[in-house]
Amino acid sequence: MIQFAYPLALLSLIAIPILLALHLLRPRRRLVVVSTTTLWQAALREREQSHGFRRLLRNLSLLLLLAAAAALALALAGPQWPASVGAAGDAVLVLDVSASMKTRSGSGRTRFDQALAEAARLVDALPGDGRMLVMTSGRRAVLRTGFESDRDALRRALAGLRPADEAGAPREALALALSLLRGRSEGRVYFLTDGAYEPDVDPGSPQVVFRIVGGPARNVAITRFDFRQALSGEDRFEVLMTVRNYTEAPVVAPAHASLDGRELFRRSLELAPRAEQTLVLSFTGRAVGQAVARIDVKDELAADNQAFAAVNPHEPMRVLLLGPGNFYLESVLQALPGVELFKGASAPAADIAQLALGHDVVVFDGIPAPRLPPGNFLLVNTVAPGLPFADSGRAARPGLLRRGRSALMRDVDLAAVRIDEARTVVTGAPSTGLQRLFWSAETDLALALLEGDIKLVYLGFDLARSNFPLQAAFPMFVSQSLEWLRPRGDGLLSTHVAAGSARAIHVPAGESRVTVHGPSGAVRTVEARDGTALFDGTAEAGIYRYASGDTERAFAVSLADAEESDVNSRWRPAERQESARPAGSGGQALLPLWPWLLALALVLLVAEWFVWIRSRTYA
Amino acid sequence: MSGLDAPAAATTLVFDDEFLRKLERLELLARKMFRGLLRGEHTTPRRGRGLEFSDFRHYRPGDDFRHIDWNIYSRLDQLFLKLHASEEDLTLHVLVDSSASMGFGEPAKFDHARRLAAALACIALHNLDRVGVCAFASGLDASLPPVKARHHTARLLEFLGKLHCAGESRFGAALREVTARIRSPGLAILISDLLGADDVEDGVEALLYAGHEVVVIQVLAEADIDPPLDGALRLVDAETAHELEVTVDRELTRLYRGQLDRRLQRIESFCRRRAVEYLRASTAISFEDVVLKYLRQGTHLR
Repeated sequence: MIQFAYPLALLSLIAIPILLALHLLRPRRRLVVVSTTTLWQAALREREQSHGFRRLLRNLSLLLLLAAAAALALALAGPQWPASVGAAGDAVLVLDVSASMKTRSGSGRTRFDQALAEAARLVDALPGDGRMLVMTSGRRAVLRTGFESDRDALRRALAGLRPADEAGAPREALALALSLLRGRSEGRVYFLTDGAYEPDVDPGSPQVVFRIVGGPARNVAITRFDFRQALSGEDRFEVLMTVRNYTEAPVVAPAHASLDGRELFRRSLELAPRAEQTLVLSFTGRAVGQAVARIDVKDELAADNQAFAAVNPHEPMRVLLLGPGNFYLESVLQALPGVELFKGASAPAADIAQLALGHDVVVFDGIPAPRLPPGNFLLVNTVAPGLPFADSGRAARPGLLRRGRSALMRDVDLAAVRIDEARTVVTGAPSTGLQRLFWSAETDLALALLEGDIKLVYLGFDLARSNFPLQAAFPMFVSQSLEWLRPRGDGLLSTHVAAGSARAIHVPAGESRVTVHGPSGAVRTVEARDGTALFDGTAEAGIYRYASGDTERAFAVSLADAEESDVNSRWRPAERQESARPAGSGGQALLPLWPWLLALALVLLVAEWFVWIRSRTYA
Repeated sequence: MSGLDAPAAATTLVFDDEFLRKLERLELLARKMFRGLLRGEHTTPRRGRGLEFSDFRHYRPGDDFRHIDWNIYSRLDQLFLKLHASEEDLTLHVLVDSSASMGFGEPAKFDHARRLAAALACIALHNLDRVGVCAFASGLDASLPPVKARHHTARLLEFLGKLHCAGESRFGAALREVTARIRSPGLAILISDLLGADDVEDGVEALLYAGHEVVVIQVLAEADIDPPLDGALRLVDAETAHELEVTVDRELTRLYRGQLDRRLQRIESFCRRRAVEYLRASTAISFEDVVLKYLRQGTHLR
């Protein structure tokens, strides 16, 4: 049945009787007396027999006008046709691979198994010339095939899919799928999902056909698990754990957690219907190692019955200061937490490369710097050769200082800073890795460079001839420069990653890749760029290990998502939900008919105009 | 109603002297021989005292001795009677269609028909034939009983002049009524446009059945043959007042002519089958030409 978006617009059909009245009031035909009308009637009959539709043409003008008015009125009402979809055009098959798809039904089949069966039916029902693209929707949308007409290739792609431990983000997947069909009005997006998310992800496009699989399910989940060093001292740490009951009945959930095999606690949680309980427990000792939390309940989704956390050993930042001695610089480096300072007057140029590998940051303070090897450097009142900027002289009392928007300049207030003399530098060819930190009218005073394996911060004046070290901005600037030169993310407490998210791994200077071992033993090597490797293979929950220099480090991946663990569909059947249909039957989508009706009305009006002109000619 | 006009509205049919002289040289002929009432100039099936030899037959008692051929008796010694053809008058029935459709055209078909009727009547009266005139539409509307002798010419012309056309034509019924009223069969000349009614054949059959020799003269207006119509019109039937809305274009005009041709051919074909002389006359042709040229090409005017 046709549906109308604006049924009130049907009132405009009143134009039809008005047109009819106007037609009846038109000048009457000229009267002509003839001997007999019998022959004319016979001639008319003959003409109508030879052109059957001519009978309709007697009042053609009126008919055309009425039809045009009816078409316009219907167009205004916004008719929509529940068209059968999937019969023609390209299709995008979006398969939900979020953790909730691992939910099992009474028969033991997971929702993902049901979705795969439905996907296979859609592939079988694909028209002969139809093409289909398969993509998955987890935390990210991933294209698994291109637009394929080869059924076997599509089936192979489907066979290789597995649900992940990650939360779903269907809105992004549907947006991507629709963008793939842009300009193909016949195309359809089939979204095979359990509907365990808010209905507002529906983009409202008639091209999207939802196929909801699965039914009601019971679930109890760990929605948060973390631990941190207690603020009171480094010998105590705290564990945070939240367990939520998604069922409509009270549940007793035995919970326990362990750290590197040592049991931290074991207790039974009594959970009211649709309620959660959070545990915060303190323990003695250092929180270093891999922790696992579990609840022992029999529910339909096992993936969220465990959670992981990893804390890597804290390692100090090794900083080598080369120079004649600088009270201010030494003081601030010694004062910064987590920094281990090494000092020297100078070093042979040949040893610099080795020193750079052995230290996290090398500082050149007022001494000539050699051509820099890979590593992290802080240049104070000196310039090294081979850089995109070069020494060009001196500037006395550089004027008003201006600052850039770099993260290194966060909270660095230069208003009171005065400088007696500064080096002037000229920049060579434009370099994308060169940032201006702050400068005067005469020259750049501080720069940051990221080029290849070299990261450096340049400060272009003698600290002793400036009041900069006396300002609060100085330790901020040094601290943020060191953090930028050698990020210490891995050294923070509890490293936790949501399943499906990317994890940035900082690799030591001189290393170009990192090898990550997954919880199931899978090994994956990721190329590093600018000292950072981006690892996105976190679909599986568990502990991931990798080597950073000589140290083995780890990070944890857990589902721990309160929304994803709510495995019951939040869709209303009366909304866009579609139950699974037999193969080849296609789906239903509301196709707007108003553009066609508008075009029809225009054609009818043009035709009526021709008829009117013709009748005027005869009259 | 068709029939006779009031005297004031009467049309006087006047022929010029030249035309009348030409008419006087014409003679109506009938292929069939009819029994006349009085002696005339047409051979009849009745044997009589005419001059023209007809046949011999054996003498039967009671026969008039004066008709015995004595020469044969002298040679064969048998009595034979010599028979002569009897010459009697011919009755001409002029049947004029006075339905409303006859008033159509410029000049009106009815005027043309009346003049034709008058001319034929004049020829007959001049040849001492008896002439009767009937005007019919849906029935017999007016009639002039057969008259003989030239002095009836004025009366006959006056009758024709007073006729007017109206009403719907019903050939079958009207001509059956006409034949019921006419007692002496003769030469029946039917003058009509033959357009209004579909039962033309029935009417002609009725005349033939009554023993008449029939001549059909179809009078058509130029507007019937080539209608000067175009555009969106409401056509009104002259007889029935039936209205028909049409948008006349070239194609429809062509189809109309086709329909007219088929109707004319149907009537002509019927007349040929029934040995009825058929003549089609347009009002664009003067009635003098119709009489003096086209009718003389037929078999009934000499």
